Amino acid sequence: MQPTSSMNEQFLKKWQMGLQIFRPSIDNTSVSERKRAIKLSADVAMASLRKGTTCWSRALIQKAATEDSFLVRQMLAGIKEETLINRKLPKIVCHRKIVRRSKKILMRRKSRSAMEEVTAKAKKLVKRKTKGLRNVVPGGEFMSNNVLLIQETLDYIVSLQTQVNVMRSIVDAAEAGVER
Amino acid sequence: MSNRIRSRQSSSATRISDDQMIDLVGKLRQFLPEIRERRRSDKVSASKVLQETCNYIRKLHREVDNLSDCLSLLLDSVDEDSQEAAVIRNLLM
Repeated sequence: MQPTSSMNEQFLKKWQMGLQIFRPSIDNTSVSERKRAIKLSADVAMASLRKGTTCWSRALIQKAATEDSFLVRQMLAGIKEETLINRKLPKIVCHRKIVRRSKKILMRRKSRSAMEEVTAKAKKLVKRKTKGLRNVVPGGEFMSNNVLLIQETLDYIVSLQTQVNVMRSIVDAAEAGVER
Repeated sequence: MSNRIRSRQSSSATRISDDQMIDLVGKLRQFLPEIRERRRSDKVSASKVLQETCNYIRKLHREVDNLSDCLSLLLDSVDEDSQEAAVIRNLLM
């Protein structure tokens, strides 16, 4: 499960499209503005490869749209850009007080063996790490179950690798060109 | 079947199944050297895999950030003959 060359090509094309939009102004802006343009177009390009089929890509598009909706609309033209930008996803609300209260009641009723203690601790740890994963994957807070979270994570990783590979090749090409 | 029904009722509490964890470890093995080195794949703890996955994603985020910095600096055409800038412009714009 590695990024394919077609993924690399598609990403590059989309990224170029995004940067074209900035082209007129890019020479006259500050370094930080330029970086923002480069990064934003790269993220939208990466997300657009999935054509709205994954949760992380939709979340990333929505986030990018709050920064520059014109750019997103241009880059996604033809891939149901309006629905992708505007669709609201329900956040998962965890009613901590209720969960804590019911846990306390359960704890009082059961006396736990040492084995149960260990298992419970392991489960807690996994839960904490899962939450950590939700924080780094875009749209993680909307993923209603862990099965989905894992699938999305794997897809997100492959997409990030594509992004990194292509960006790195551009930098390498630029630096190699100079050494000649 | 019952897993699906259970996951609809207590969705955020759905446990990652063992099969899924093995699948995840298998796929992440190529990206994560720490897991790759272990020969007894079934003994890798779920929390360790999740932690390594988080770390790896954060590492990729940092790389994208660094590369963006790099590109934006290379495009800084203070030097009008800047070869790097020319290459980048040709490739990207």
